[in-house]
Amino acid sequence: MFKNYIKTAWRNLLKGKVFNGLNILGLAVAIASSALLLLTVHFQFSYDKFHKNIDNIYQLYFSTNREGVVEKTGSMPVPVTPAIKAEYPEIKNISRLEGGVTTVAYGDKELEESINFVDQDFFKIFTIPVAAGSKTPLVSQNELVITKYVAKALFNNADPVGKMVRMKFGEGYKSFIVSSVIEDFPENSSINADGFIRFENTPGYQQNLKVWDNRNHSVFLSLTDNADPAVFESKLGKFVKAHFKEDLNNLKRDGAKPVANGDLMSLNLASFKDNHFNTEVGGVEGYAVNKTSIIGLLVIAIFILIIACINFINLAVARSFTRAREVGVRKTLGAGKWDLLSQFWTETIMVCLIALAIGIALASVILPYFNANFKSTIKLGMLFHPAQLLTLIGLFLLITVIAGFYPALLMMRYKTVQVLKGSVSTAKPGKVRNILLVVQFSIATLLTICTLITRQQINYVRNKPLGFNKSEVLSIPIDHGLNGAQALQLFRNQVAGEKQIVGVTGAYRNLGLGNDGSTFTSITGFNYKGHEIRSHIYSVSYDYLKTLDIKLLDGREFSKDFASDSNAVLVNQKMASLLQVNKPVGTMVPYDDKHPKKVIGVFADYNFRSLHDKIEPLTLVMDKEFPINYVFVRVRPNSLSASYDFIKEKWHQTFPNADFNASWLEQNTEKQYRNEQRLANIFNSASIIAIFISCIGLLAMSVMVILQRTKEIGIRKVLGASVSRIVLLVSSEFITLVIVAAIIAMPIAWWLMDQWLQNFAYRVSIQWWVFALATLLAVIIAALTISVQAIRAAIANPVKSIKSE
Amino acid sequence: MLTLKNISKYYQVGGSKNFVLNNIDLDVEEGEFVSIMGPSGSGKSTLLNIIGMLDQPSEGYHYFMGEGVHLLKEKQRTALYKQYIGFVFQAYHLIDELTVYENIETPLIYQNIKGGERKALVADILDRFNIVGKKDLFPSQLSGGQQQLVGIARALISKPRLILADEPTGNLNSKQGEEIMELFRKLNQEDNVTIIQVTHNEKNAEYGSRIINLLDGKIESIKNI
Ligand SMILES: Nc1ncnc2c1ncn2[C@@H]1O[C@H](COP(=O)(O)OP(=O)(O)O)[C@@H](O)[C@H]1O
Ligand SMILES: [Mg+2]
Repeated sequence: MFKNYIKTAWRNLLKGKVFNGLNILGLAVAIASSALLLLTVHFQFSYDKFHKNIDNIYQLYFSTNREGVVEKTGSMPVPVTPAIKAEYPEIKNISRLEGGVTTVAYGDKELEESINFVDQDFFKIFTIPVAAGSKTPLVSQNELVITKYVAKALFNNADPVGKMVRMKFGEGYKSFIVSSVIEDFPENSSINADGFIRFENTPGYQQNLKVWDNRNHSVFLSLTDNADPAVFESKLGKFVKAHFKEDLNNLKRDGAKPVANGDLMSLNLASFKDNHFNTEVGGVEGYAVNKTSIIGLLVIAIFILIIACINFINLAVARSFTRAREVGVRKTLGAGKWDLLSQFWTETIMVCLIALAIGIALASVILPYFNANFKSTIKLGMLFHPAQLLTLIGLFLLITVIAGFYPALLMMRYKTVQVLKGSVSTAKPGKVRNILLVVQFSIATLLTICTLITRQQINYVRNKPLGFNKSEVLSIPIDHGLNGAQALQLFRNQVAGEKQIVGVTGAYRNLGLGNDGSTFTSITGFNYKGHEIRSHIYSVSYDYLKTLDIKLLDGREFSKDFASDSNAVLVNQKMASLLQVNKPVGTMVPYDDKHPKKVIGVFADYNFRSLHDKIEPLTLVMDKEFPINYVFVRVRPNSLSASYDFIKEKWHQTFPNADFNASWLEQNTEKQYRNEQRLANIFNSASIIAIFISCIGLLAMSVMVILQRTKEIGIRKVLGASVSRIVLLVSSEFITLVIVAAIIAMPIAWWLMDQWLQNFAYRVSIQWWVFALATLLAVIIAALTISVQAIRAAIANPVKSIKSE
Repeated sequence: MLTLKNISKYYQVGGSKNFVLNNIDLDVEEGEFVSIMGPSGSGKSTLLNIIGMLDQPSEGYHYFMGEGVHLLKEKQRTALYKQYIGFVFQAYHLIDELTVYENIETPLIYQNIKGGERKALVADILDRFNIVGKKDLFPSQLSGGQQQLVGIARALISKPRLILADEPTGNLNSKQGEEIMELFRKLNQEDNVTIIQVTHNEKNAEYGSRIINLLDGKIESIKNI
């Protein structure tokens, strides 16, 4: 029986080559794209799950609220770990973790490796299988743990355990003995390093032992079996109050808001199982990704599958009209319901299997581009792990059931007698088919509108003037080892008088997101004329406005010629307007109770934060309290890259041991929107795929409908209808559906995009023409798809088509 | 073998009933060869389809092999039908995607007959109908007469006791038609298969032992030969 089914199925496939080819192509594209998306989603959700204790691993982080948003950072000072371990018996294991890159030498081999500094508990908290050597590594301070990969690179095939290597620290070398070799970290591990040594080896460890305000590493811990993490967390308030008095005072100075229980700063636990999605806490291990965008991928994958299934169903239904007679005949030969259902299911499975094979082949071709474009590291082999395989098979069967049974059931509803008489009206479009087509094109139009609007917004934020010169200014993060103010002075002297340099200055904070990836914010609050003023505040060096090309509206900017400038401020227009005086320049403003500061200049508002946020009141100071973290250099507009090289050379001359991590401000500001950029790319690809698959469906459908109406078209032609009339006759029904779909998609797209645009203080307004354009696009593509077939039918010789009945 | 009592079939057109069959009473004994005649639209096909359980009457009683068909569920009807009835159509209704051999084999598949046995049965009938050489051809490669021959072979493969043929020679020339009629007669006389055929052709009708004339859904006359 089965053989018979397969035989018929195969012959049927061959018979409708074009039709089935299209069907398979559409399905294959959907399978390829959704397989990649689903793998990505799965991969992202699989992060760190290989740790056996994953549910009992936490990272410590501080919460503060300086500017209305709670800021969370995982950076900890050195003494926290011993102190907290001593004070809280709930802690079972605790380990510090600091990253670093060091030269590891063995014999005449020297390799740059990323070596993490950790405590002994680290290997108890995390599941890191030891391949050779001690199972309880890092007992002594000169032990080194390396991965298999590094072991191979350093020692080739020799036994690494017990070997002595030298590692460079500062100027000199220290010796370490390889005590264990661990398995390489899997791709889905947030923690990743080439080797581990004891935390005590961190440079400056001894000096930092008692320093509570230098935060430079993360802390992981696990709790005893009966400890409740929430209860433990609530007890940490006491710890903060006892050890962080100075931070609390600074927060008060900066006008911070309380975060929990009225405290200005709290110490919290972040569950490590959410580590990979933890975009809120700064300084988590690995590269955290936004969970919403991953779920977005999932939704898009499902959308694409839905579109493909709809295609499949519609095509099967369209074809079922031509196969109704076969069903009728088989019934008269004694076929029961299940015989017929399983026959059609077999056919569906065959088509799906072919599509699956092509889809996976396609996916493997696209994979490298996909990985490159979406910063992914998935492999197709991941499809064949038991869990994925089961999901895949389940999904596959589900799709074949939906797509195979529905048309089969539909066919079996026909009255045998009528089918055999040939009187089933085959041109009947069917409500279900129309609804499915509308759903399909709604999704496609929805994605198109989203693509258009995200692109618009990204172009808008890219091109909006920000109030400072972003194309000719280079920002250079100052290495942590250097004193910022001194470094700035040194560099100024170094490049003084150089022709291509327009200005050099420095500041506490960067503009945009620099190559160091750090952001600094500080807000001050004070009472002024009976009300509270809150202002962003940061320190700059002189020539700041000139170097960055920020417009000075009144007064002057900081100058080295005025010693008193350390007690003066510059304010932006927003801040000036809050001062409620006619001429703000010269006004004394009580930033702190004892020392009011004098306004010496007012400058035009500029976007010192991303366009997600409105411009707020801003005060610039030249205060020793704020370090200088960035140097800004403005160059002449011609030959930017030559200037870059020149500045780089000068930088290395000035600071031989420091990194040169410079970037143009334009790059910095663009980096602020990379999430949005990625989202736009995803929408873009998804909408193209959605439209493509939908159009394949439409094409096949039009082939079918025209086939069914060949005779009618022939008769109309004989009666004198023009080609264009006939094309219109055939297309109009589909075009109407596409327009209906677009109309349904509009409010959904509007709502979604409005929601998304709320993330930006500066945003494009959603314009009607975007919807019109998307609709037009859908209609044109649909019309083109259909008319190819319609025109062919319309110009065919009518005599032939009439006779063919 | 079968009894129809007060069988009526009507379609609701507007407010009124449009009778296609009106109060038909009919008995057919095992081994009979019945021809049904009548003008186009008189209800011949409808009557045949009701007898063959492809269609259901609007009213009346239908007994087949001692069972009340009007009382049976769809599944039971299919089972009864599978066991006893073979259909031959004017338009042959072969399955285009299957070869001659596979077309003939299909009813056996639906009766869950084992592969080996199927082979023997199909080989047998191919032989009997003299179409062994055509077994791997597809219907489109055959002439109309050959297609109808295959259609009859397919109807006979499951050894039905009753063959229902709706204008089996309608699409054939007279020589081909005569061959088919001869075949029917042989089946009727040698194998004792009951045959009910619809035909427009007087000469073909006379192969039967009884001719029933339909007019406007009623039996107008019955002629025994
Ligand atoms: N679904 C239907 N609705 C209304 N009338 C129908 C339907 N099917 C068949 N008929 C009518 O039933 C009558 C008998 O049809 P049929 O049995 O095929 O006649 P015959 O085979 O004798 O030519 C015809 O007049 C036809 O119009
Ligand atoms: Mg008829």
